[in-house]
Amino acid sequence: MIYFLMGVGLTIIFGMMNFVNFAHGVLYTLGAYFCFQFITMTDNFWVGLLVTPFAVGAFAYLLERVLIRRLYKLDHAVQILITIGVMLVIREAILIIWGTVPKPVSTPDLLKGVMVFGDFVYPQYRLFIVAATSLIAVALWYLLEKTKFGIQVRAGSENPKMVSLLGINTERLFAITFVLGVALAGIAGALLTPIRGADAFAGLEALGIAFVVVVIGGMGSFTGALIGGLIVGLVQSFTAIIWPEGANVMIYSVMAAIILLRPNGLFGRA
Amino acid sequence: MSANQPIYIHLLLTAVIAAVLPIVLPSYVLATEILIFAMAAIGCNLLLGYTGLLSFGQALFFGAGAYAAGLLSIHYNLGLVPTILASILTGAVLAVIVGFFAIRRKGIYFVMLTLAFAQLGYYVAFLAEPITGGEDGLLDVVRPTFTIPFVTEFKFATDTSFYILTSIVFVLIFVAMQRLVDSPLGSVLKAIKQNEARAEAIGYQVKLYKIAVFAFSGAVTAVAGTFYATMLRFAPLSNIDIETSEVILFMCVLGGLGSLYGSVFGAIIFLVATDILADLWPRWMLLLGLLLIIVMLYLPGGLSEATQKAISKLRGSDIKKEGSHA
Repeated sequence: MIYFLMGVGLTIIFGMMNFVNFAHGVLYTLGAYFCFQFITMTDNFWVGLLVTPFAVGAFAYLLERVLIRRLYKLDHAVQILITIGVMLVIREAILIIWGTVPKPVSTPDLLKGVMVFGDFVYPQYRLFIVAATSLIAVALWYLLEKTKFGIQVRAGSENPKMVSLLGINTERLFAITFVLGVALAGIAGALLTPIRGADAFAGLEALGIAFVVVVIGGMGSFTGALIGGLIVGLVQSFTAIIWPEGANVMIYSVMAAIILLRPNGLFGRA
Repeated sequence: MSANQPIYIHLLLTAVIAAVLPIVLPSYVLATEILIFAMAAIGCNLLLGYTGLLSFGQALFFGAGAYAAGLLSIHYNLGLVPTILASILTGAVLAVIVGFFAIRRKGIYFVMLTLAFAQLGYYVAFLAEPITGGEDGLLDVVRPTFTIPFVTEFKFATDTSFYILTSIVFVLIFVAMQRLVDSPLGSVLKAIKQNEARAEAIGYQVKLYKIAVFAFSGAVTAVAGTFYATMLRFAPLSNIDIETSEVILFMCVLGGLGSLYGSVFGAIIFLVATDILADLWPRWMLLLGLLLIIVMLYLPGGLSEATQKAISKLRGSDIKKEGSHA
């Protein structure tokens, strides 16, 4: 489920704005560090988890205003290269601020135990992640499918010029969408800190996985990100049982196979 | 540049570059490294700068060349020429395979496919520990020797002799690739970059050309990998990681797309800056990121085009803006 969360932000940004964000992974990492910071400051896990998305979102807003909005009209290749630059800058800034040693965050006491279903044991915190992500997925679905904002976003992804002609401020819409997408990466980062800690170099791996999720599901498709996340999760869990070291090989093979068989991913539009 | 320069000019220019580098730089090792990565950046430029294909998997060919040379030198010790030929073959074959699949898709999917293949290569090399040394890398790579029968044997054991060897190969490769991009084949590649649909409509087999350019790119990059491994006497696993692809891409973009000299300058600037900054400030990558953003935003043609523009401005001639879609 967490893979869905990493992928969905990327897919919303791509689908709506036709913008390829290679800095997505490092923004996920930023979420993890913000979460760590807030937890250390307030000594309360829940505050950290709740404040992080807003903090990351605020950062995303600044980034969009200063740099990203200049890039929408450029070629994908240029977008990729520039966001790689952004990625380097943020990662190094993280290392300057928080140092090179990854920061651990402990699981909140409330969720330290395990759940037992028959002979199946599952850590409570992981269940919490699944629940929280499902909740976010439903909320997102509602936001994108049922609200006026969602209609505008979806219309914008079909034809931004037309939407703009209809009198909707697409510039504002783009900024909000970018912030939303990045905030989702931030939430993913924050949710995972008790499991993975905050590690500046985890961004690349996260980026890789987010792209795999999105590419499998189809760039720009919400359902696709959901299914893609599930597929990646399942493939990884199953290979982890049969051939633990091969999990990553399998993920990338599955992605390559899917792109080749279904050019636009499972749910992508042409 | 409007007209193609004759070969001897390129031969001369690159020879001068190779001769001057060790004089101005503090060490032969740095100069060697620059020429090696210049070759890799040239390989990347063939794809991105001339054909418009953004490959995020150049490290795969680089790493493959390194492992090929390393394994051959350790187990068979075939000598210099066979080793280089073998790495050219390895790189080209791998690149044809990657190219064959990747060019079926365009845009972001193409990029993701090249990345996926490189990541596959990375994890395969990681898992194949008995062969590649896994995470530790391939140790004790031997520098291959070059024997002229009954006369002498070159061992390239010193930094200087190894640099001379590298520069000879660098000059040969540069001239060959310059010849390639100046050839009719090169013109087709540029046509594909400018307008793929039109190139196709005129009757060129765009896919074949793309696979061909992949083969050249893979071969050149693999040679670079070979020299890197023999220079270090070690083939680290990190040769195939995303970061290596990034660095190669970076040099290529920094120097300028669509100019082989640009790639060479990209490698020079990148590695010299790295060498100086890395000592001063461990977080120098931050500046690198900023530089990448600035170059892409304001100098889409890279440094070489910026210089060219400045020169032609001085001459008062007008050049059409072309590089905005790099």
